[in-house]
Amino acid sequence: MRSPVRRRLTRVLVALGLISLIALPAAAPVGAADPVVLRVGTVQDLDAMNPYLTEYYVGWEVFGLNYQGLVDFGLNAEPIGGFAKSWTQDGNTWTFKIDPDLKWSDGTPATSEDARWTLQKLLDIQKGDRGYVGVGYLDLYLTYAAVNSVSAPDPQTLVLTTDYPNTQILTSYLPILPKHIWEKRDINTDANKVPVVGTGPYQAVEWKTGEYVRMVRNPNYQGPTPKSYQDETFIQFFKDEGAMTEALKAGDIDYARNVTSDQFDSLKSQPNVVVAESTVAAEANAFTHLVFNTHAPIKDGGSSTSAVRDVAFRDALGYAIDKPALVDKVLGGHGVVGSTIIPPAMSGGLWHLDPPNVRTFDLDVARQKLDAAGYKLDASGKRLDHEGKPINLKMVVPSSSTTYSQSAEFISAWWKEIGVGVTVQSLDPDAVSALQKPPEADPPGKASYDVVIWNWAGDVDPNSLLKNATTDAIKSGSSDSFYSNPRYDELFALQGKENDQAKRKTEIDEMQQLLYDDAPYHVLFYDAALSAWRTDKFGGWPLSPETGGLPFFAYGTAGYDYLTAPQAAAPSAAASAAASAAASPGSSEAAVVATAAPSAPPASSSTSGSGNSLLLVVGIILVIVAVVAVVGLSRRRSAAGEEE
Amino acid sequence: MGSRYLLRRILQAMLTIAGIVVLNFILFRAMPGSPERMSHNPNQSAAARADLRARWGLDQPLFPDQFARYISTTLQGDLGQSYKYKGQDVTEVIANRVWPTIILFGLGELIAIAVGLVLGAYSGWKRGGVVDYAGNGASLILYSMPYFLLGMILLVIFATALGWFPTAGMFTLGETYSSFSDQLLDFAHHLVLPLAAVSLGLIGQYSILMRSSVIETRSEDYITTATAKGLSESRVLRGHAVPNALLPTVSLIGINLGFIIAGAITVEVVFSWPGLGTLTQEALEARDYPVLQAIFLILAVTVVFANLVADIVYGRLDPRVRT
Repeated sequence: MRSPVRRRLTRVLVALGLISLIALPAAAPVGAADPVVLRVGTVQDLDAMNPYLTEYYVGWEVFGLNYQGLVDFGLNAEPIGGFAKSWTQDGNTWTFKIDPDLKWSDGTPATSEDARWTLQKLLDIQKGDRGYVGVGYLDLYLTYAAVNSVSAPDPQTLVLTTDYPNTQILTSYLPILPKHIWEKRDINTDANKVPVVGTGPYQAVEWKTGEYVRMVRNPNYQGPTPKSYQDETFIQFFKDEGAMTEALKAGDIDYARNVTSDQFDSLKSQPNVVVAESTVAAEANAFTHLVFNTHAPIKDGGSSTSAVRDVAFRDALGYAIDKPALVDKVLGGHGVVGSTIIPPAMSGGLWHLDPPNVRTFDLDVARQKLDAAGYKLDASGKRLDHEGKPINLKMVVPSSSTTYSQSAEFISAWWKEIGVGVTVQSLDPDAVSALQKPPEADPPGKASYDVVIWNWAGDVDPNSLLKNATTDAIKSGSSDSFYSNPRYDELFALQGKENDQAKRKTEIDEMQQLLYDDAPYHVLFYDAALSAWRTDKFGGWPLSPETGGLPFFAYGTAGYDYLTAPQAAAPSAAASAAASAAASPGSSEAAVVATAAPSAPPASSSTSGSGNSLLLVVGIILVIVAVVAVVGLSRRRSAAGEEE
Repeated sequence: MGSRYLLRRILQAMLTIAGIVVLNFILFRAMPGSPERMSHNPNQSAAARADLRARWGLDQPLFPDQFARYISTTLQGDLGQSYKYKGQDVTEVIANRVWPTIILFGLGELIAIAVGLVLGAYSGWKRGGVVDYAGNGASLILYSMPYFLLGMILLVIFATALGWFPTAGMFTLGETYSSFSDQLLDFAHHLVLPLAAVSLGLIGQYSILMRSSVIETRSEDYITTATAKGLSESRVLRGHAVPNALLPTVSLIGINLGFIIAGAITVEVVFSWPGLGTLTQEALEARDYPVLQAIFLILAVTVVFANLVADIVYGRLDPRVRT
């Protein structure tokens, strides 16, 4: 009957409940002195733990902490000891010295053989069918440095030879991998599962995709003395800047990278939070631009009018863009007006050229120039091209950032005023990328657009940005303007080999001027990088570079070595670095010495973070409850019926 | 309950799943922006790109080659490798994210069913009473509010302004727990707000439906008979009105599951809850086909299964459908 059934059911339930409680894992070990944990927030999601497979900034930050490059970057992007402690150059021969006490994080001695093995592996793959390593970003540094052979005459010495004398190897990202672990792995596809073994300051021990990566102090790291303050570094991946900003305000994270300009302004008044805007670091080494499709006519594709192929037309339109207004309205003032394609942020302004013939915003001048170039207005106020067709430009913007669509709104309004029609279309970044492929590329595309507004980012050397306007780039699919100028190509080849910095600067200046005059691009602005961090848990925040830079996500990961315990005085205004003001680098040095940070032993595996067992238990209990509920629900009817 | 009924329902479910598998495959291949273009590398040579396509089997014709390959590997439980998380198996990527979603939405559903049904039944029975007006009003508001809006309001008020709850995640990062119950407490602490966002929205839905269902049932003859027989009001409500009013709600719960998953994405994103919702969003952005296919397969199977269960429960509750 019912009653025994119900009683039995209850008994089963209780039994199950008890069983699940017993099955709970034993109480976790009591934590030692709680480790000092640094929490860094970013909106970018880490894609790979293998340095040769990651395509994102955050991936570079992670491998920068796990591994050392052959040569690393200091706070001011200057070459400092990495895997190799010192080096000498003699013409085409580089000799690197490795510290005899250097050890991998697992205790194995690290020698020149590890470096030789890593670099030789890269060279071998490059020469093979595949031609590139992983996603093909890092091995290029060997190509730029023209390295042709590598050898390890003794465990502390590594010798490289190059095709021609150059110093590119000193500004390269070449993480050195432990041979004893990687010789069994395929560097092109291996996931490099945690725990990671490297010589960098922090080693990844946990990675929850889409959530965070947890890195603990490497006891064998040959870093600065005294040791860096934090025992563990977390990088947490947020879905959007809003959530990240809230987390910073609540103290759930200590550093927020790339907040939006509105959030930046709102964070200025938060207690214990320092905001810094950098036009000389990180994302500022990039430009947002408007690019014309200058490709020759393409069947069933290409530009909608021959006008975009005319220098005079593009030049005239340049006078109808109010760049200062864009910086003010679109970036909230957080940026620098653009001119040439090498940002002033790159290498402290070493390569940037300020052209003498800057275009100013003047609609009348724009109209005059259009008239002079033969683009007459028709009766309805529209400009006609040389074939007599009214001009209506198709402007495409990626939907990844409102910066592009907002800029497009302003620009199309200005251009309409001078008679040039514009239709703006917003597409997924991937779709825009596919759209920009010409017939020569593989896979081929139709390049059906007139104008695109997007963004290019640079690294320490101008090569990667200059390359995009070469004729070769059209075939490789990286050119967005399809600009082809023999003189530009010639200069590109020359500067790539040029060791004399002054001569190289002259060559690069000429290239920048060529592009400015021919105007396949109108560089709108150089976005400032906006970050914020808390001062109540950590102090000694360094800036990289030391004038107007940011602590993290800089050229290297040197910034992580400088943190200290929180400092008494909240240096809110003083530390916030504006582009013009020089920050005081000296303070970080003093703070490092003064603090007696208790160097707690790195936390052994505790129950922190993972919680997989907990989830499993809760989940199973839930399923049991659900099943019981369903069964119980179906039973109640018969029970009620019986009660009559 | 007839075994033919059960068998028929199960067969229907399997056929549906088979159809979904085919649709799944077609849909994702038809989307623009194939994966190798996601490689942002401007230096990638043509040979390298071709090599990538060959490795992923993208250079072969859609039917039958790619499709056959998809079916055979799926049946073997090999869901491929993620395009975005390079080198990781799809099953691995998904396995980490399944339980957080199950717990959040499972618990949310259970709470919503318990509270929503009770509230709705009571409101419907005591029509015009205080509980009815207040409850109905609140339910309407909650029902019409999108999950993410509810979530953001809760976040701003309780997490940021008052600081009672954390703003993101499932556990506090970098925390060391001295005991299991500490960890459980931390988990519960993080769970409260997203759970509230999910349950409140669902409570609104279930309560409104239950209410109108009960109101309708109330006017039935057998209710009048039961009252006339002298049964207490609560006995009539519990024993006669509710079981009959339950029928449409049971159907709704099954159907709802599909929409809840859609809501999962928004709630999870607001709270950075590391579940399938956030994984779906990431995979969409990255055009990570294998992960997307696997997620949608799992979801489809779940929805079909839930509807099957709902059908069975309905069958038990209402003998009239058991043909």
